[in-house]
Amino acid sequence: MTWQTRIELVVALLAFATLAGFIWKARTGRAHRVRSGEQVDLIKLEAIKAGKPVTKFGKKATALQFSTEVCNQCRQTARLLGELESKHGDLLHLEVDVTNRLDLAAHFKVLQTPTTLLLDSNGRVRARIGGAPKPQVLQEELRKLEIKNV
Amino acid sequence: MSNPTPAGIDPRGPRFGAAITSVLLLITVFLGLGDAASTTAGFVLLLVLAALFAAGATLGVSNHPYAFIFKKLVRPRLAAPTELEDPRPPKFAQAVGLFVVSIGIVLYLAGFSYGVAIFAGAAFIAAFLNAAFAYCLGCQIYLGLKRLGVIRNA
Repeated sequence: MTWQTRIELVVALLAFATLAGFIWKARTGRAHRVRSGEQVDLIKLEAIKAGKPVTKFGKKATALQFSTEVCNQCRQTARLLGELESKHGDLLHLEVDVTNRLDLAAHFKVLQTPTTLLLDSNGRVRARIGGAPKPQVLQEELRKLEIKNV
Repeated sequence: MSNPTPAGIDPRGPRFGAAITSVLLLITVFLGLGDAASTTAGFVLLLVLAALFAAGATLGVSNHPYAFIFKKLVRPRLAAPTELEDPRPPKFAQAVGLFVVSIGIVLYLAGFSYGVAIFAGAAFIAAFLNAAFAYCLGCQIYLGLKRLGVIRNA
C-alpha cells in the first residue's frame, strides 16, 4: 500500500469514529413512548430502597433505573434522578442492579445500562430511556406524568 | 447481591489513558497497512498495547502505567474532580481491549498480516469514543454479553 493510501485509510477511520461518536451522542438518552406498557410487578422486581423492600410506586411517577456494576453512566444517572426525587415528593426513583438479575434484564429487554423506565402512578410503563437520560428529556417526560415544576 | 463498591477514581484518568491508547492504536493501523517490515513494527506495537490492556484488566486502571503519568503530570494541573467514578467500568473496557487486540495478534501469527491493522482499528474506535465522547463500553455491551453467556463476572 502506498503512503498516501495508508494515510487516507487512517484519516477515514478517524472520520468514521468521530461520526459514530456524534450519532451515538445524539441518540443516547432519548425517551421512547411506550404504548400500552406493562404493569411492573414490584414483588418480582425485589427493589430495595434505603435498606427496605419497595412496596409502593411513586405518588405520580416512578423512575425505574436498571444498572450494572461496570457502568459509570449509571452513577451519574442515579444522582440526577435522586436529585429530581428529592425535589419532588411525587416522584420515586428506584435503581435495580441487574448484574446478577439476568431474569429482569431479559424480561425488560435491557441491553444497555442505564436503561430507565418511567412509570405512571399505577406502575404502568409509559416511557423508556436508553443510556444516560438528558435532563431536558426527563423534565419533558415527567411533566407528562404530571410532575410539575421540574 | 452486588459486590461492595471499590474506592472511587478520578474519571479523567481513564479518559487520559484512552487518549494515549487511541493514538498508539492509530499508529498501529498505519504501520499494519505498510510493507512486511512496517507490519512487523505494527505487530510489536500491538503486543505492547496488549500488555498495557492486560495490566489494566488485571491490576485495575489505578495501577496502570498511564495512571501513574496522569497522577504525576496531569492531575496536578487540573482542578479537583467534581465527582469520583467506579474503577470497574474502565477495568472491563481494558479486558475488552485486550480481547480485541489479541485477535489481531493471533491472526498475524497465523499468517494474516492485515489482522494487525483491522483489529487495532476496531480497538481504536472504542478507545477514541471513550476519550472523545465519554463512551462507556461497560454500559453498552456488558449486560448484552452477560445475557448471551459470553462472560460470567466483571
